[in-house]
Amino acid sequence: MHIPDAFIPLPQAAVYWIIALIFLALAVKWARSEMNEDKIPMIAVLAAGIFALQSFNLPVSMGTSGHLVGGALAAIVLGSPFAAVFILTLVLIVQAIIFGDGGITTLGANIINMGVIGGFVGFYSYKGILKAIKNPFVSAGIAAWLACFIPALACAVEMAIAGTFPLAPGLVAMGLYHAIIGVIEGIVTGIVIYVLYRARPDLVDSSVRGAA
Amino acid sequence: MTLDNKTFILAGVIVAILIGVVAVFMASGDPDGLESSALVVSGQKDLAGLSPEEGDPEIVGTGTFAYESPLPDYSLPAMDGATGGLIAIVVGIILTLVVVIGATYLVVMGKGNSKA
Repeated sequence: MHIPDAFIPLPQAAVYWIIALIFLALAVKWARSEMNEDKIPMIAVLAAGIFALQSFNLPVSMGTSGHLVGGALAAIVLGSPFAAVFILTLVLIVQAIIFGDGGITTLGANIINMGVIGGFVGFYSYKGILKAIKNPFVSAGIAAWLACFIPALACAVEMAIAGTFPLAPGLVAMGLYHAIIGVIEGIVTGIVIYVLYRARPDLVDSSVRGAA
Repeated sequence: MTLDNKTFILAGVIVAILIGVVAVFMASGDPDGLESSALVVSGQKDLAGLSPEEGDPEIVGTGTFAYESPLPDYSLPAMDGATGGLIAIVVGIILTLVVVIGATYLVVMGKGNSKA
């Protein structure tokens, strides 16, 4: 759901940039207090893996493809929605500047959708679901589905405000496609968190360790 | 099977590159969810139907800014076929790694109490 430059008029794109920069500042503040050199291997592997997985478009029927976004993954593994904002922002910058995947003016909106909304929805729904079903990997998978579906709806609303999509058909199309793409997000997120937990339990958030 | 830092990063990067390489050959060429939605709302595609070969999602665009990236669509403009795609994806993974590690170091160093 990388929004290209053409999809949002400049004044609106600027508003999304300002909101994104506020969350980015909060993410840097979080990283300064919570991150240390011990965590760098996990951040590095998450970033490389998320970039690679984002390039892998899988067919989801109805003439559409989709790939992992990774907001829930980053937030759950590192134990904060701001981890998703931090990592996704950097991945999105590389994608936009080097590969033209997602626009420059729309980078703010893309950071909000995939990093901020994806990260917060993924992290807090994971916390809630984990209380109910106790299995961290299944909880992460369900949370990741939500972290794909809800940002897609937010994106449809942004498209409607921009005058790019009509509201109702946009919500239906974005919701339908990302409900299916979210299944990829959910399965891949659950599996990746399990593998990371087996490889380096010490670098995975205590909520995963405690319940696994 | 706990891995030390060096092995963990190396394994992570190798797995990422393998995923990227497989993606170059196997990834679906169908439009993504946002592009498909753009085709639907512009009348180029039915909601559950196949996407047109020559569909243009950007036709719905209202913005004016344009930017030419050096490696558009994860390929080298001067190189056809899979080689350009493979180079682009490896460059992307390494670059992402460098940017993220660099940014994290800057932030962690910034707090002035780095644990050596």
